[in-house]
Amino acid sequence: MNTIVVTGATSGIGFAVSREMLNKGYRLIGTGRSIQSCDKAAKLLAEEFPEADLIFFPANLMHLTQVTYLAEEINAYLAQNCEGRLFALINNAGCVCSHYTTSEDGYEQQFSLNYLSAFLLTYHLFPSLIKGNGRILITSSNSHKMMKMHWKDIMYQRRYNPLMVYKQSKLCNLLFAHALNRRLSGCPVRAYGIDPGLVNTDIGLKNNSRLTRLVWSVRRKKGVSPEVPAKIYARVCGQKHAPDGFYYAVHGETAFSRQVNDENAERLFALSERLCGISYDRMFEGAGL
Amino acid sequence: MNVLITGASGGLGRAFAICCAQRGCNLLLTDIEENGLYAIQNGLKRQFDGNILIKRCDMTIDKDVRELMDYANQQNFKLDMLLNVAGIDYEGGFMQRDFLQISEILSVNVEATLRITHHALKLRRPEGRFYVVFVSSLASLYPIPLKATYAASKRFLLDFSLALGQELKSKNVFVLSLCPGGLCTTQDSLRGIEAQGFWGSMTTNRIEKVVHQTINRSLRGKRIYIPGMFNRALGLISRFVPAFIIAKLLYERWSKAQKQWLVLND
Ligand SMILES: NC(=O)c1ccc[n+]([C@@H]2O[C@H](COP(=O)([O-])OP(=O)(O)OC[C@H]3O[C@@H](n4cnc5c(N)ncnc54)[C@H](OP(=O)(O)O)[C@@H]3O)[C@@H](O)[C@H]2O)c1
Repeated sequence: MNTIVVTGATSGIGFAVSREMLNKGYRLIGTGRSIQSCDKAAKLLAEEFPEADLIFFPANLMHLTQVTYLAEEINAYLAQNCEGRLFALINNAGCVCSHYTTSEDGYEQQFSLNYLSAFLLTYHLFPSLIKGNGRILITSSNSHKMMKMHWKDIMYQRRYNPLMVYKQSKLCNLLFAHALNRRLSGCPVRAYGIDPGLVNTDIGLKNNSRLTRLVWSVRRKKGVSPEVPAKIYARVCGQKHAPDGFYYAVHGETAFSRQVNDENAERLFALSERLCGISYDRMFEGAGL
Repeated sequence: MNVLITGASGGLGRAFAICCAQRGCNLLLTDIEENGLYAIQNGLKRQFDGNILIKRCDMTIDKDVRELMDYANQQNFKLDMLLNVAGIDYEGGFMQRDFLQISEILSVNVEATLRITHHALKLRRPEGRFYVVFVSSLASLYPIPLKATYAASKRFLLDFSLALGQELKSKNVFVLSLCPGGLCTTQDSLRGIEAQGFWGSMTTNRIEKVVHQTINRSLRGKRIYIPGMFNRALGLISRFVPAFIIAKLLYERWSKAQKQWLVLND
């Protein structure tokens, strides 16, 4: 039985992906922000799939210490129950914030949750992914287009613009996948970006200003149900050999911005390593890559 | 410049720390919450070059504050600026709260803040200017029923800072009070602001802008900073309308907001 990790599995797209993957017979490790939301999601899924093998771990992924702690728990679980093998890591947790706020580390919250947490979690779970010939899927978005990296103030500390910060975080997701793949040639592990399309979820309604909630409650009505994008994840995971593409949407492979290039990817990668206090290269060496 | 920041694990304290580090300051960060200090220290060190020191301290305990100052001394950290950010509040009317909570508000917001200021002034660089910022609140401008203790504690800071600034002017000490409206520092505070409806959104300030402007104004020797046009207008009203009328109006507004807050937190 192949094991997958889905972050932000307690609602929206992550929850739908979890259902889809349980239906296909994967073992699920879900994560959510609170014990309550994890319990609720685990209960709903267990009712629908009584035979399924699933477990949830709570962690607020906005804060780096909690990402590291979560990774330790997951690795321990994998070692005990799955011979240390992880088949897919689906980095999906995300949020929209209408105000400038920081994580415990002093990093802007959307940047930290939507992007940096995935960078760090992937790092910690990488040895397990190697053992499982795994795949890394990252929920990006079409909104990464028409956006450039705001290098001179990447966390928008001077003038916050929620939409730009969100778009940039989704561009970061693709840059990360791109930089990883550059390092992984010759290794079976591969990273993919996913474009779920416009999806009718609660993302813009959670802890947001009136204006953001109003805009999102109108906009989301045009969105599809989360079951639709869930199929993309299942398709990318379902193929026997890791597919060659890079960015997938409902209709298959799809185009991405020209900003997703080596220069931006490497610059972001180096910055992210510094912000997380880690070195992928050293970890790769340790793993014999 | 060397800056001491209290309440540095909290949302506003972190924002100040980032703003100062960005300007190349060296920092001594303190808070009662130690894990938060480690996290923000790491985050800052990874982004900026300055020296970032941390030391846990319960400001209500004299021994802790002395230890903090000893630590600064050992590190040869002479102060140029003190940002008094630490402060607390408990929701609910005077009689709905335990007296321990009431006295805790006074003890942290007033007594502990003065304690640390007193010690810090002794640790300032002998020559050169010294800047003190008190984080007061828009609430300091009026008597606020249902938030009476908090508002009065902030009023204390406002009056105190004006007097202290005058007292120490000749010693090159500059004292500023920051009186912000709502600040979204955590997701909880956002919910609190939402509970106030229209008034909440009108009085809310952008945190990234407020911290930046506060430092700028302090360096220019200003005494009071009320961020936002709307808040400044409210500040003006308080000078012309008798306090008891304001109290009556605010009572109505706060009782509504608190009911809303209780619903949201259910
Ligand atoms: N909806 C769209 O149209 C759309 C389009 C493109 C891309 N996306 C992306 O899709 C992903 C999922 O979004 P969604 O629309 O499904 O939103 P959602 O329903 O709000 O789901 C987000 C998930 O992340 C979790 N989460 C939020 N904050 C967290 C934190 N601090 N720590 C840990 N987990 C946290 C949420 O937990 P709770 O259940 O506790 O809230 C939830 O499980 C996001 O990355 C988003 O950027 C969405």
